[in-house]
Amino acid sequence: MKKIINKPENYVDEMLEGLYAAHPDYITYTADELRCLVTSNKVPGKVGIVTGGGSGHLPLFLGYVGRGMLDGCCVGGVFQSPSPEQVFHVTKEVDGGAGVLYIYGNYNGDILNFDMGAEMADFEENIRVETVVAGEDVASAAPAGPGEPNHRRGVAGIVFVYKCAGAAAARMKDLDEVKRIAEKAAANVRTMGVALTPCTIPEVGAPGFTIADDEMAIGMGIHGEAGIRNGKLEPADKIVDEMLEKILPDIPYTKGDEVAVLVNGLGATPLDEQYIVTRHISKRMEEEGIKVHRYYVGEFATAMEMAGFSISLFKLDDELKELLDAPAATPFFKQL
Amino acid sequence: MDVSYLVKLLGEISRTMDENRERLIELDSVAGDGDLGLTMTKGFRAAYDTAKDSGETDAGRLLYNAGKAMSGAAPSTMGTLMALGLMQGGKVLKGKTELAGGDIADFFAAYEEAVMTRGKAKLGEKTFLDGFDPGVKALKSALDSGASLAGATKKAAEAAEEGFKAAKSMLAVHGKPAVKGEASREMDDPGACVAALIMQAAAAASA
Repeated sequence: MKKIINKPENYVDEMLEGLYAAHPDYITYTADELRCLVTSNKVPGKVGIVTGGGSGHLPLFLGYVGRGMLDGCCVGGVFQSPSPEQVFHVTKEVDGGAGVLYIYGNYNGDILNFDMGAEMADFEENIRVETVVAGEDVASAAPAGPGEPNHRRGVAGIVFVYKCAGAAAARMKDLDEVKRIAEKAAANVRTMGVALTPCTIPEVGAPGFTIADDEMAIGMGIHGEAGIRNGKLEPADKIVDEMLEKILPDIPYTKGDEVAVLVNGLGATPLDEQYIVTRHISKRMEEEGIKVHRYYVGEFATAMEMAGFSISLFKLDDELKELLDAPAATPFFKQL
Repeated sequence: MDVSYLVKLLGEISRTMDENRERLIELDSVAGDGDLGLTMTKGFRAAYDTAKDSGETDAGRLLYNAGKAMSGAAPSTMGTLMALGLMQGGKVLKGKTELAGGDIADFFAAYEEAVMTRGKAKLGEKTFLDGFDPGVKALKSALDSGASLAGATKKAAEAAEEGFKAAKSMLAVHGKPAVKGEASREMDDPGACVAALIMQAAAAASA
């Protein structure tokens, strides 16, 4: 393991101390607990939006707490779920009287702990909580049939859900309406990733899996979950084609549709390479007759020092487009 | 009856889990990691200890606090689901200091509902629910037809035991037993066993 750290066991808390030092105008913490992160700019009467999940994915999850997006984040250990107590404390702090919406990724541990936190908030504080679970990784499971539970993992595309729901909440929409927007956004986003190298949890000290030097893992999740196939590394354009072949039909799209494209580096892939990928996505969108309303390129949801990237396509209608375009400012996401 | 019935119930569940600790470990070791015996004994022990020492007279708060204690003591999936069951049960009894048989039926129905929605499981998928649901239904129908709580919980315990036995031939679709595929039809389900034990404890607490 080669990492710029002090002690592995202090990894998460020291990262948080750095964040609080750098961004006091955006974030602080509650309940005397560094891992209960909340906005510094609470708005009374606004629906509070809370997320959370394991550490090791910056900017996800906490990086989107700020103006026009999220209000709180329950920070877990590296790749570990936050506890119900954290969820409860953050919920209590961000509730401005209009209720709280949870938006987080589709992982069993997170679901149970957020549900438990919601029970506590309801029972002890009478706070109304609603939940939207994002799961958009097309490589992780088949699409859910009508009435069936969604088994797909939540990955980078959740940023679009944060953005639209956050914009709706900032306009003082009520909890039902913010939830409706979040559900709609979650239903319109699809993601797929590819990994080139594994990642190491500091307290473990060695990677939990391997990818051969000349290979890539198509469809791998952001904790190293197995994807669709491992195979020889191919040129960027071919990789993009294989990913779009899965992503596009899943919605599906027709000529004239509009999308937002998110190209996400997994931690150790240079922006140069991400733009090489973006170049080919743009060509393919043109061929498909899909209009790209906005590109987001950079790191949004990483897996420690994993090399690789993911593509998220977010299908837009007038309502979502307008919310996506609304201004927002957080430590990791700024849009005028 | 007052909330001391619930303390007694939690005490009986805790005692029954203790008595069946090795059996649960054994059942869970066939496909899982074998920790079910540990989480169930630890979890329900924490729930009982909290309820016993609280002096709480509100049935809802008593169950809620018991569930919260359980979730802290047994943070596994099954432990959390059982804790959520207690908390959901607490929600329907919130504000009550006096309890009738119907309240106990409501408590168990809410408990089942919580496990079903939070665990995203349906009947017939070889889980806790396949033991619990027949018990909950038997309890309600016996009470509806005029049985005493003692008689109704006895029926519930029998039905839950039958449910546990019937679950054996089901195909597992959740958790580690699902990995065994068709071979899971030869295996008793540890979750359904927990359900039968809870109903057995209810009968003991009501006798």
